[in-house]
Amino acid sequence: MPNTFFGWIGFLLEKYGGMFLSGAANTLLIAVVGTVAGFIIGLLVAIVRTIQLKRDAGGLKRAALGAAKLLLNAYIEVFRGTPMIVQAMVVYYGASQYLGLNLPAMTAAFLVVSINTGAYMAEIVRGGILSVDAGQKEAAIAVGMTHWQGMTGVILPQAIRNILPSVGNEFVVNIKDSSVLNVISVTEVFFMSKSAAGTYYRYFEVFFITSVIYFILTFTFTRLLRLVEKKLSGSASYTVYGSQSSYQAEIEVKRDPEGEA
Amino acid sequence: MAEILHVTGLYKRFGGNEVLSGIDLSVGAGEVVCVIGPSGSGKSTFLRCINLLEEPSGGQILFKGQDVMKMPASLLHARVGMVFQQFNLFNNMTALDNCVAGQRRVLRRSREESVRKAMFYLERVGMLPYRDARPAQLSGGQKQRAAIARALCMDPEVLLFDEPTSALDPEMVDEVLSVIRTLKDGGLTMMIVTHEMAFARDAADRVVFMDAGKVVEDAPPSKLFVKPENPRTQAFLARTMRG
Ligand SMILES: Nc1ncnc2c1ncn2[C@@H]1O[C@H](COP(=O)(O)OP(=O)(O)O)[C@@H](O)[C@H]1O
Ligand SMILES: [Mg+2]
Repeated sequence: MPNTFFGWIGFLLEKYGGMFLSGAANTLLIAVVGTVAGFIIGLLVAIVRTIQLKRDAGGLKRAALGAAKLLLNAYIEVFRGTPMIVQAMVVYYGASQYLGLNLPAMTAAFLVVSINTGAYMAEIVRGGILSVDAGQKEAAIAVGMTHWQGMTGVILPQAIRNILPSVGNEFVVNIKDSSVLNVISVTEVFFMSKSAAGTYYRYFEVFFITSVIYFILTFTFTRLLRLVEKKLSGSASYTVYGSQSSYQAEIEVKRDPEGEA
Repeated sequence: MAEILHVTGLYKRFGGNEVLSGIDLSVGAGEVVCVIGPSGSGKSTFLRCINLLEEPSGGQILFKGQDVMKMPASLLHARVGMVFQQFNLFNNMTALDNCVAGQRRVLRRSREESVRKAMFYLERVGMLPYRDARPAQLSGGQKQRAAIARALCMDPEVLLFDEPTSALDPEMVDEVLSVIRTLKDGGLTMMIVTHEMAFARDAADRVVFMDAGKVVEDAPPSKLFVKPENPRTQAFLARTMRG
């Protein structure tokens, strides 16, 4: 048996390297699926929550929308107001005891993280929509767009750009917080570490490795998200096409896109 | 002259605050009607009720004899266009895409047809060279001209303007007003809320003076500006002409 810190690290890496790797891969997979699905849930919830009924809408439509909005609010409150570790237990054991569904652990993980993230994303998207000038929505209506068309074509593209940092943050949170899924035996990196540590009772060394893995994951993706944000903030230049009389004159104009006239 | 818009007894309340108190107005095909009046008199609310950006509290608005409340919203908005004081170009799109988006999504036109039409109207408002620019890269006057092109692309039968030059630097006012004049020459029906009295005087077929949610006077500019009947019109004109 090794008798130094680095000795143990080397030993554990050699013996459990595969487990660490597959655990990290699962953690990443859960974070990616959960964040993407949660983001889509958040967008859809926000679209429904911003529907405003027309003058001539019937009572049935009104009641249905009211009920839908109430349910969505309840969903957001409940999933933001309880810990994900508890949600995981409830979903996993609820499905098996009352629905007779023995969910594979990974499926349960995707489900729980997506729904949980969706609740947070719904609020983030709502904030993003509020950050878009109300005139944009009026203009969309004024050219005849429906709520859905105005949302998907005009409002959400602008809102998403504004909330991208928060969306990226949710992803980083998911990398870290998916560790709680070890309680339903999801083989993410924390669960793998616990198994590895138990054999030789080397908790410190194992979890030292685990924290390095988490840090590499979060650090890498934080940098990547920065890059994406930069890309999405758009080109600051455009081409002015010469007039008919001198169409060879094409001028590249650079102006600060934020610098309003 | 065929009637395009016919408004009778239009009321609008915001909570307990009555902003429009029984407006009657009729606009014929090809007419240019300028709406003037003190700030807060309900001019914007009136325009916004016509294309149902605000829901009227009472009264009736007919568009070519059809009750606008019973028209499908998209159809109404395509027929009755709107140009805003703050331009409201779609900030996530280039000038060209601003003109294309509504045609594609609402009128279901093909990409080629939409682009052809967009180029045509951008050319007419002198914005063709800037078709690839985003709103943030344009001056106020350029934005407003692009916004007019966007509205024209929907082939509206009436175009409503809510103070189209009020947010502009003085040197850009004329470029927008001269675009609106060319639309008049093209025979487009327009309702224009404006503080540009000189423009109203020479471009309008009729001028409507609004005060406190009512149409106080409705006359050709040659009459309204020269011999206004109502004392409130006289007082308003005296105040604005002096300034
Ligand atoms: N959405 C609204 N809610 C409450 N009051 C409003 C709203 N829009 C306009 N008003 C009120 O209606 C009155 C008329 O406004 P407006 O139509 O904008 O006048 P104008 O365009 O002639 O300046 C004002 O007193 C304004 O405060
Ligand atoms: Mg106004």
